[in-house]
Amino acid sequence: MRFTFKTDYDQDIRIVKHGGYVWSYGVLLALLALAPFVLSSYLQSQMVFVFIYAIVGVALMILTGFTGQASIGHAAFLAIGAYTAGYMQSKGIPFVVYFPLAAVLTGGIGVIVGFPALRLHGIYLVIATIAFGLIVEEVLARWESVTHGNEGMRVKALDILGWVMPRDGAAFYVLTLLTLVGVLVVALNLLRSPTGRAFIAIRDSETAAKSMGIDLAGYKVKSFAISAAITGLAGALFAHKMSFISPEMFTLLLSIEFIMVIIIGGAFGLHGAVMGAVFMVMIDPVLTELKDGLPGAAGRFFGMAGMKGAIYGLIIMMFILFEPLGLYGRWLKIKLFFQLFPLYKKATFKRQKTYVKSERNR
Amino acid sequence: MKLSAFKAALLGAAFGLAATPAMAQTRVTNQGVTATEIVLGTHQDLSGPIKVWGVPVYAGMKQAVEEINAAGGIHGRKLRLIAEDTQYDPKKAVLASQKLIEKDKIFAMVGPMGSPTVLAAQDILFDAGVLQLFPLTAAEFTFKFDPAKPQERLKFNNLLPYVESTRAGLKYMIELKKPKAVCIMYQDDEYGKNVFDGFTLQLTAMSLKAASVTTYKRGASDFSAQAAKMKADGCDLVLMGTVIRETIGLMAESKKLGFAPVWLGATPTNVIEIPALGKELVEGMYSISAVEIPYRDTAKGKVKIWADSYYKTNGSEPNTQAVIGHNVITTFAFYAELAGKDLTGAKMLAALESGKEFRDIFGSPPTKFSTTNHLATTITQVHIVKDGRWVVVKEGLGF
Repeated sequence: MRFTFKTDYDQDIRIVKHGGYVWSYGVLLALLALAPFVLSSYLQSQMVFVFIYAIVGVALMILTGFTGQASIGHAAFLAIGAYTAGYMQSKGIPFVVYFPLAAVLTGGIGVIVGFPALRLHGIYLVIATIAFGLIVEEVLARWESVTHGNEGMRVKALDILGWVMPRDGAAFYVLTLLTLVGVLVVALNLLRSPTGRAFIAIRDSETAAKSMGIDLAGYKVKSFAISAAITGLAGALFAHKMSFISPEMFTLLLSIEFIMVIIIGGAFGLHGAVMGAVFMVMIDPVLTELKDGLPGAAGRFFGMAGMKGAIYGLIIMMFILFEPLGLYGRWLKIKLFFQLFPLYKKATFKRQKTYVKSERNR
Repeated sequence: MKLSAFKAALLGAAFGLAATPAMAQTRVTNQGVTATEIVLGTHQDLSGPIKVWGVPVYAGMKQAVEEINAAGGIHGRKLRLIAEDTQYDPKKAVLASQKLIEKDKIFAMVGPMGSPTVLAAQDILFDAGVLQLFPLTAAEFTFKFDPAKPQERLKFNNLLPYVESTRAGLKYMIELKKPKAVCIMYQDDEYGKNVFDGFTLQLTAMSLKAASVTTYKRGASDFSAQAAKMKADGCDLVLMGTVIRETIGLMAESKKLGFAPVWLGATPTNVIEIPALGKELVEGMYSISAVEIPYRDTAKGKVKIWADSYYKTNGSEPNTQAVIGHNVITTFAFYAELAGKDLTGAKMLAALESGKEFRDIFGSPPTKFSTTNHLATTITQVHIVKDGRWVVVKEGLGF
């Protein structure tokens, strides 16, 4: 096990805690950068979806994982980002302008929604975000002059100042990867800033945070806006990846998929967002692989209609029952087990929070 | 030296460009065709919101594949159909298409299901030179193509499009019944809008005016407001851009109100589920259709054999969806047969565009494509529910 000898207070908030970070993430990045030259476009396409889901996962992680505000309306933000991209591109606005603008616009809508919604707590907030998702879906279907209604909208290939990036090409892959890395770096920095600390304080105890002088409503709206803006970025990429968007693609089901990303990944760290995205996107192709790869009855078993959905639901239930900390939590436990071997004790990950009761009278 | 080689290449390119006619060559893949088999791919909704369509269509396709293989295949090659379940999710359709092309090396995509799913995945097929044959959506993008984009020539459709069929069916009904007030109720989505477009175009063409236009949201179950409005507007012919449940719901509600116009459903209402579920409520209802629905006990000849065999393997009555699935495969087989013994992508495309007519066993209007038209037919029928069954009133309709 590695012990970091701390000689400076800055070391507590440093993103790169020790040398191991540099080489392990360096190798990961190098492998990811090499991937498009090695993998088939089927696998590459899956990776692009993983990246897009991971971007949304990071956005939700900031809102749900770190600020403690649930949202089942993120498909709507994705839709706003996607339609902004599609509409602006059709009006001849270049990518370098509409890509950030998709984030700004979505973030702006996040603020507008956030102000009334975030005065609600818990389940009521969830209901409000569902309502928001439904409203956006409805607006997309009705506002035909912009969205083409239910007919949907074709989105042309991404074009950065004359450099056309087909959606299955290496360039598009790299762009999505860079966006994800950028979003991760921003999120990491955000979380070690006073704003991020305030988010975490709100998550852990609103009463305590308030008594520390944190403006609850203000920070919640901020969190909502940042989360929405990041989702907007993902939306723009999603539109280009799909090449066609229609209101029925951004339903409640997609929002639930996004929530599952962070629940399965582990709603307490950014690793969780990425791991959850890998799981959510890859599970389907893996089950397809089982269907095709296994011989005879086993293959037929996985090939049965609806079997994928059942297995998928089962896995999710198992996670919630037996590993509420998600994939990342499991990974940390496994890592610690080997680091401390043979001294690992289960209680290490027991929940320490004991002030839950005081939250009742908020 | 280097420069001259470059010049030669440029010159060659220039000649190449000059030699090619305005229409560039369409690339068609030859993958998936071996000495013993032809690999076909499809993506269906087998467990999602429109599985009522996906499951029987796929069953119909599978059965046709088995029949063709049992009869010795196409020039000795057996068909192998690989299906992926997309659950009507465009993301999954994109991934499924890439998987089918790259891993399974399909020769053609046959009968993929749904508008958003087909549209999101179609240029992947075109880029790979894979034919997109007879998708299960009657939308325009599945057959209309831009001659300037050679890869778009790879799409063909044999379904009856909503707009054209609605026009033809409505024209016939208006001439037959001479209604005073023609009305429409349609589902508020892409499908309903297509029916509404057909309705508006036809009324304009016949210089009539719509007496009442009402809509409902997909999944709605209460139609009292719509029925009351149409009754108040004095409708005596109502076109329904509905699916199954809404059709029956609207007619039940109208019966309560004593509102009894002539009912005409768009093509999706022409399924056996309507008389099966609606019973006496839907007696006398008309619908627009592409093909006569086979019933097991009244069918004759090949259709009878087919219907019995479908019932035996699937344990359910053969329906319109199964007929469409069957036709997807048999149409492919017909043109693959036509393409000859040494089947290649280019020969397949040429066979499809040859203008040769394909007639199915169900007596549908003939399927025929050309270099400029990739839509098989717009010839429409009108059916009526009589004693719990769909009966053909008139066939061979146009507008």
